[in-house]
Amino acid sequence: MNDALQKIFLDPFRGFFENVLDFLPHLLTSLLILLLGGLIALALEKMFTKLFRAVNLDRVSEKYGIPEILRRGGIKEPVSFIFSKMICWLTLLIFLIISLNALNVTTVERLLEKFFLYLPNVFVALFIVFMGYILSNFLGRTALIASVNAGLKMSGIIGKFVQFTVFFLSIAMALEQLGIGKETVLLSFGIIYGGVVLALAIAFGLGGSNAAREYLEKRIKGEDEKDDIQHL
Amino acid sequence: MEDVTNTKIADEVQERLAVITEADILVGIPSYNNAGTIGHVVRAVQAGLAKYFPGKKSVLINSDGGSTDGTVEAVHRASIEDFHSIFVTHNKRDFFKISIPYHGIPGKGSAFRTIFEIARRLNVRACAVVDSDLRSITPEWIDLLLRPVIELNYDYVAPYYLRHKYDGTITNSLIYPVTRALYGKRIRQPIGGDFAFSGDLASFFLEKDVWDTDVAKYGIDIWMTTTAVANHFRVCQSFLGAKIHDAKDPATDLSGMLYQVIGSTFDLMEIYHDVWKNIKGSEPVPTFGFRYAVGLEPVIVNYEKMIEKFRLGAKELSTIWKTFMPDDLHDFIHNELSRVPVRSFNIPDDVWAAIVYYFALACHGKKINREHLLKSLTPLYIGRVASFVIDTWNSSAAEVEEKIENLCISFENKKELLVKNWEGKTDSKGEQPK
Repeated sequence: MNDALQKIFLDPFRGFFENVLDFLPHLLTSLLILLLGGLIALALEKMFTKLFRAVNLDRVSEKYGIPEILRRGGIKEPVSFIFSKMICWLTLLIFLIISLNALNVTTVERLLEKFFLYLPNVFVALFIVFMGYILSNFLGRTALIASVNAGLKMSGIIGKFVQFTVFFLSIAMALEQLGIGKETVLLSFGIIYGGVVLALAIAFGLGGSNAAREYLEKRIKGEDEKDDIQHL
Repeated sequence: MEDVTNTKIADEVQERLAVITEADILVGIPSYNNAGTIGHVVRAVQAGLAKYFPGKKSVLINSDGGSTDGTVEAVHRASIEDFHSIFVTHNKRDFFKISIPYHGIPGKGSAFRTIFEIARRLNVRACAVVDSDLRSITPEWIDLLLRPVIELNYDYVAPYYLRHKYDGTITNSLIYPVTRALYGKRIRQPIGGDFAFSGDLASFFLEKDVWDTDVAKYGIDIWMTTTAVANHFRVCQSFLGAKIHDAKDPATDLSGMLYQVIGSTFDLMEIYHDVWKNIKGSEPVPTFGFRYAVGLEPVIVNYEKMIEKFRLGAKELSTIWKTFMPDDLHDFIHNELSRVPVRSFNIPDDVWAAIVYYFALACHGKKINREHLLKSLTPLYIGRVASFVIDTWNSSAAEVEEKIENLCISFENKKELLVKNWEGKTDSKGEQPK
C-alpha cells in the first residue's frame, strides 16, 4: 500500500521538486541577466541621450523635417529621445532573449533559433517602412508645393497621390522582405497602381476631353492668360 | 574642391588676355539666348566707352551660358562703323571685345565669376556689368555707372531706374524693403542687374567661396549689393533713366527665381548678423545723374488670377505656414483673406513685413526643409503683389513710390521682431521658450 502511494503520489512530486530544484538556478540566472540587462539599457539610454544632444541630433533632424513628420504621426518627443528609447528597448530585448536562452528549455531554444533567423528581416522591413514614410511625406509635400505654385487646382490630390504611392511602394517592399506573399503583393500593387492610372486616363479622356482640348489649344496657340508682370 | 579664384578660361581667350596684359575698364555682359537685344547693348557700351572714356584702355567681355540662338555671333557682328556720326574723335586701338563661354552651374552668377576673374587678371580699375536683354541702354549709362568709381573712388555703383509700377515686383515688395531695413542703406534697385564696381571689389567678390550656391544663379545681384554694403565699401547709385528690357521667357519659373533670390538674402542674413542686428532705420546713399520723367510701356496685369493662386496656396499650404507663424497671422491669411471679395483683397504693409520676417526666422531656425519653406512663400508673394496692384491701380508713379516708401518704413519698424527672435530670446512664433 505504501509503495503504491509512493509511486502514485510521492514520486511525481519528488520528480517535480527535483526538476524545480534543477530549474531554479537557470531561472535565477535568467532573472539576473534580465535585471542586468535592464540596468545596462537604462545606462545606455542616459548615455546616448547626452551623446545625441552633444552632436545636436535634434537640430540636424529638424533640417530634414523629421520631427514634423513624427508630430503628424502623433509623436511629440524629440528625435534624440526617441532614438535613446529605441536603444534602451533594443538592449532590453537582447537581454530578454539571452535570459530566455538561459532557462535551458528546449522548446524555447528552438523558438528563439527561428526568431533569430527571422529577426534581420523584421528590422530591414521596419527600416524600409520608416524610410518610406519619411520619403513619402517629403515627396508628397514637394509635389504639393510645386503644383500649388503651378496654379493646379488639384494640388491637394496630386500631393496625396504622390505621398500614398511612395508609401504603398515601401510597404510592398517591406512585405516582400518579410516573405509574405512575395509575388502576390507585387502583382496586386502593380494591378492597383496600373488600375488607378488607367482609371484617371479614362476619366480625363471621357470626362475632361473638352478641358484637354482647350488646354492644348491654349498651349499651342499661346492663348494662356498670362500677365506681363516682370518680377525681377 | 575647385580653387574658387581660378575659373576655367579657354586657351584662345588666355592668349588674347596675354596680349592685352592690362586694362583700365572692363564691361561685362552675361548672356543666354539674347540674340535679339545683345547687339544693341554691345554697341551702346562701345559708344559709351569711346565717348566718355576715350583715353582709357577698355575691354568688353561677353560671358555666355551656351546660347543656341546666335547670341555670340551677334556680339561679334555688333560694331559701330561710323563713329563720326556720334562723336568727333575715337581711338579704336584701345578697345577689345571678347566672347567667352563660362563654366560652372548654369546661371548669371557663374557668368559674373568669369568676368571678375578676367577683371583681376587685367588688373582693371573699374568694372561694370550690364544685362544683355536691355532695350533702353544708352552710351550715357556707361558714364553714369563708371565715373563714380573712376573719378570719385566709389567701390560700388547700383543702378537707379524708372520702371513701370508693376515691373520689378520682387524688388519693390521684398528685396528693397528687406535690404534697406537690414543694412540701413536706401539702395533702390539692389538687384537691378546693371552695376559698376572697383577692381578691388571685384577681387574681393572673387575670393568668396559662394560659386556652388544660389549666388551662381539669380542670387548674384543681391549677393553683390549686400557684400559691398555689409563690408563697408563706398556705395552710391546712379540714375539711368528708364529700364526697358525683353520680357523674361514665360517658362521661367517664378517660384524657382524667388527661391534663389530670397534664399540668397536669407543666407546673407546668417553671414552678416553682427552687421544688421544693431542697425536701426536707414539713410540715403549718394545718387548721381540727372533725374527726369519718362514714358513707360504699359503692363497687363490679371490680379484676379493672382488672388486665385494665393487662395489655392492658403488652402493647401497653410499647414506648413502654421508651424512657424503666430496663430493670429496664420488665421488672417488662411481665413480672413480667403473670404474677402476680390476688390477688397488687401495684405497690409505691416502684415507683409511680419510674414517675410517669420519666413526668415523659420529658415534661420531650420524648422522645415529649406526648399519647401522658401517655395511655399510664392503664393503669399503673389497675393501681396495682387494687393499692391489693387491698391495702386489708379496711382501715379510718384504715389506708387510713396507707397513703397511706407512699406519700407513698416519693414524698419517691424525689424525688432526679427532681431529678438533671431537670437533665441523667443521661438520663431514669438513665444517664450518653456
